[in-house]
Amino acid sequence: MIRRIKILTLLFPLFPLSIYSQTDWVKWEKTNFDYRKSSEYRQRDYSYDNDTTAAQYVVKTTANAYWYFVSDLDGDNCPFRPSCSAFFVESSKQTNIFQGTLMFFDRFTRDINIYKRHKHYPHIKDGYLYDPVSLYTLDESKINYIPPSAIIEQQ
Amino acid sequence: MNIALLLSIILLLISPHYSQTENLDFNSPANIRLFADHLYCEKDYLRAILEYDRLLEMQMNDTLLYKTGLSYSYMYDYPSAAQRFDLIPPSSPFINQSRIEWLKAKFLFGDYPKFKLAYVNQFVGENNKYQSEGQKLFNFSYLFTDEPLPSKEEFLSPFEINEKEKVSSFYDWKVDPPYKSSTVAGIMSAIIPGSGKVYVGEVSDGIVAFLVTGIFVFLAYDNFQAGHTTRAWIFTGAAALFYGGNIYGSVAAAQVHNAKITFEFNESLNIYLKKNNYYSPAYDFCK
Repeated sequence: MIRRIKILTLLFPLFPLSIYSQTDWVKWEKTNFDYRKSSEYRQRDYSYDNDTTAAQYVVKTTANAYWYFVSDLDGDNCPFRPSCSAFFVESSKQTNIFQGTLMFFDRFTRDINIYKRHKHYPHIKDGYLYDPVSLYTLDESKINYIPPSAIIEQQ
Repeated sequence: MNIALLLSIILLLISPHYSQTENLDFNSPANIRLFADHLYCEKDYLRAILEYDRLLEMQMNDTLLYKTGLSYSYMYDYPSAAQRFDLIPPSSPFINQSRIEWLKAKFLFGDYPKFKLAYVNQFVGENNKYQSEGQKLFNFSYLFTDEPLPSKEEFLSPFEINEKEKVSSFYDWKVDPPYKSSTVAGIMSAIIPGSGKVYVGEVSDGIVAFLVTGIFVFLAYDNFQAGHTTRAWIFTGAAALFYGGNIYGSVAAAQVHNAKITFEFNESLNIYLKKNNYYSPAYDFCK
């Protein structure tokens, strides 16, 4: 009898504990967690949905061809975000095909320069260097200077 | 034996109900105040404001109003901070401090024309310590805008002797900022590829631009010499694009350089002002 009471005494506090320990009421289940880094390289937009002019079609076709035949096979090697090809598409869209081409060749020259990259550009959270088109359109009102020490949360 | 055991179990089960011997009223004004002060000192300003507001609903208190104003200010909610400082009655011992904090909130909100108007309406004509501190902020606001600056003597007049050297360097910078001309950068790169980039301080970019353009020019020249016309024209095209891109890039680099200079200037102004607490009195309610 004493033994039973002892067991009951020990068990009794366990019941209220089990009632109040459950703080969330959603069933726990297996989640499919993706450990891969999200990358612009894997989410390329090949569509022509936002291209309205003939020049934009030409630029986008050039970029699509480069992505399909070269970059997708070669891998994600550009240290910048947006990547040089995406920079070309974006700069042509924001300005015009001639200015966009000049901006692309300037970007490409800066891409070749392997010195002081990390001291010169801010980083995106996943490690790429942030170098947006808005800095180079020659429209001073669009320039939003970000110091190299800054970490950009999103592209 | 069994009864004794049963009694002790019953006692054990009942005892938690009576373990709370002190009958605390957590919602009494004194305890709300203690809790709010604790939150304030823990820098949990949002919740501190909520607790102070509960007290302010019961009774108006200028110290609490002042602390809520400071809390909003620490949370970068400057319009709400200014609103709170505005509510402090003229009879309060905090009136002068709250006025300078109010001015500071207006300044930090960044609407400098409104800040200047507020200073002129509220501070000009007085002759006390707070007017002088307000004028220092007023003069600093010139450095954040493109308005014409007053004369150097007039600008430096409210500052102490030990401040004048630093403030004078800010003034000189504003009068003659170390900007680079985008036109000069473009012309230089047109003459010698890459030199415009060197001029704006991008030395390695300039050297790379010079080498890339030079290599393509050489390849074009060499292929023309060798009679490989098609290849020569391809290299000529590439050289022209790199050359044009470099001129364009030098102009853009000068603009980015100037934006960087302005950014760094504003940063150094902000650091200096923050170090001086924007000329408002520093209070430690948590000592």
